[in-house]
Amino acid sequence: MKMSPEYVKAQANMQPGEITSDGFLGDDSRPLVDIIAADEEIMASLGITFEKAVERMHYLMDEGRKGLEEPVTVDGRWVVRVSEARGFLASPFEDGIFRKVNARVERAPDGKPTGDVLLFSELSIHLMEKYHFLQGKGSPFRIEPSSIKKVLEL
Amino acid sequence: MTPVISPFSLFFASIFTSNILLANFLGMCSFISISKDMKSSNGLGLAVVVVLTVTTGVNWAVLHLILIPLGLVYLRFIVFIIVIAAVVQMLEMIIDRVSQTLYMSLGIFLPLITVNCAILGVSLFMEIRNYSFIQSIIFGLGSGLGWWLAIMLLSAMRKKIEKAPVPAGLQGSGITMITIGFMAMAFMGFSGMLQVQ
Amino acid sequence: MNAAYFIAPAAIATISAVLAALISITDSIVNNYGDVVININDGSKELDVKGGANMLVTLAETGIFIPSACGGRGSCGECKVKVTSDIGPHLPTEIPYLSKEQLSENVRLSCQVKLKTDVAIEVPEYLFKVQQYDGVVESIKDVTHDIKEVYVKLSDGAEVDFRAGQYGQIEVPPYGKIRERTQRAYSMASVPADTTHLGFLIRLVPGGIVTTYVHEHMHEGEKMKVIAPFGEFFVRETDAAMICVAGGSGMAPFRSIFYDRIAKGKMEERDIWYFFGARTEKDLFYLDELKKMEEEHECFHFIAALSEPEEGSGWSGETGLITEVLDKYLKEIVPSDQPKEGYLCGSPGMLDACMAVMRNHEMQDEKIYFDKFA
Repeated sequence: MKMSPEYVKAQANMQPGEITSDGFLGDDSRPLVDIIAADEEIMASLGITFEKAVERMHYLMDEGRKGLEEPVTVDGRWVVRVSEARGFLASPFEDGIFRKVNARVERAPDGKPTGDVLLFSELSIHLMEKYHFLQGKGSPFRIEPSSIKKVLEL
Repeated sequence: MTPVISPFSLFFASIFTSNILLANFLGMCSFISISKDMKSSNGLGLAVVVVLTVTTGVNWAVLHLILIPLGLVYLRFIVFIIVIAAVVQMLEMIIDRVSQTLYMSLGIFLPLITVNCAILGVSLFMEIRNYSFIQSIIFGLGSGLGWWLAIMLLSAMRKKIEKAPVPAGLQGSGITMITIGFMAMAFMGFSGMLQVQ
Repeated sequence: MNAAYFIAPAAIATISAVLAALISITDSIVNNYGDVVININDGSKELDVKGGANMLVTLAETGIFIPSACGGRGSCGECKVKVTSDIGPHLPTEIPYLSKEQLSENVRLSCQVKLKTDVAIEVPEYLFKVQQYDGVVESIKDVTHDIKEVYVKLSDGAEVDFRAGQYGQIEVPPYGKIRERTQRAYSMASVPADTTHLGFLIRLVPGGIVTTYVHEHMHEGEKMKVIAPFGEFFVRETDAAMICVAGGSGMAPFRSIFYDRIAKGKMEERDIWYFFGARTEKDLFYLDELKKMEEEHECFHFIAALSEPEEGSGWSGETGLITEVLDKYLKEIVPSDQPKEGYLCGSPGMLDACMAVMRNHEMQDEKIYFDKFA
């Protein structure tokens, strides 16, 4: 399927070694637009919207930041740890640069960790919000729609 | 033999009554995929205009000066495609040099155009209908403008449709195809006015 | 063999050849930018270079190194240069990195600007001191579970001249799935007096291109390129007490700074409070060196703070977040009437939090220093 030049460039930037060492596409060799379309369908079938997921991820990251790299219990339901490395990451769509902030959210009802974990970064929230891109299967920062539903309790 | 038709009629006909997209259904794939964004559509449309005009002219020359005299008309498919690819490549380099901003917003679409079937289609029409050199240029330019017109119309409509309550099953490609169908029917209203085919 | 059989392939071959020739002629005409003159700092330097490549790379080839944390890929925004001649509007790839003020002053990203005509640029004087050094990796040591200390010996008798606290850019070769060389910035942990070596502390960042290489592929004896020195993080020569805060690999510039002061006999001149924050004992390092420094120099105070010391480990030092410990000391232990300067090295989140604590204790923003490349 033909992609607009913007997406072609983004797919090239998502290769390993261009921006991050593992890249954003994992083992998925499909065109970027197909990956996005497939994930949009899964999200729709699970009944979650990207907007609500992104809103919750922003909230958890902001609360987690207050811990200064230590784990923080948020609302008695999640344990969040936000870590940061020096430097910047460019968005593969060439629409901005982001600090290297990573959040690890674990679902923990009543403060008891369950082992259900979601990993995301400031950049991955941006990609999700603006492009509905959840990264390819096999990428360390792939956000599975089922994980979104389970861990973020949507 | 070379059809007898006034340049103006040919020009008008290639834009409207025999619109390469809506009457002949050539160049559909990038038409559908790029029309999501108006700026890209404009860029791509203009690039198509330039490429069509140049390649139709060059292909006419190759056809009449090389292929026909050597009796190699059956090779036209391969040769036209080679010429189109080469022309697109050179145009890309020239645009990059002349204006990098223009290259960034428009020139980057050029590689996409090589595989656009409308480009090959127009050259083949030029061959079938036996146009003269001037007629080929006019036909190429007109077809390009017609393609540009169609994609601009569709992208504008798709922008409006984004806000419309389209039933879930028809969202995306479904409603786009239906819209294109309506556009084609509207352009069919031109038929009978000026015939070129 | 009927000669007619050859006409078709011959015709196609000829047409293709002619077209290919036309393409390469167009290429050599169009992509040949000829020679270009770069006018630096209003004529103080003029360079005759070949046009066509981007400014960052072209300047590097003449020995002028503009800082770059991403090696010219357009993803760090460090290579800003002010262009005083007209080279056309900003490209979409430059805009996300420039503030409104920078855009109006025609500050450009030199890795995105292709040299097509003569240009005039303005470049800070200190950049002329930056050089590229070829070196050999002399030692790679684990200092904690995720930090390695790397020492590079400069080749060919080269010597480096830098101020303690500055940083250098190291370049790693392609490896694994990564097809191009990559450059990243790291503060120097070695002392300026050691002019034939450059040392760095490199912490493993998950998914980081260079840190992964250093931790998993680099070996002693390997060649490495370093471009140095960059940065404005160094000690300001005043009498004010130095309040230094670091975490993890942030130890690097401070180690360089403290040993430098000892070597120059300046250690006794001002009070130094050095706060180092970590999670558990596993994340602490250089403890013996720093304790010794504290014993030998009365005005040097080293405070390590652990936020989650392991139970039963017998940790007797400070516990809690580094910001809490910093706050406690500024309130109760550091003399409050003494003028103070802040020196910070760590992640942006830690920097912001520590600056807030310092402001609460009447330290002024202009007197708080940190490395911009965070």
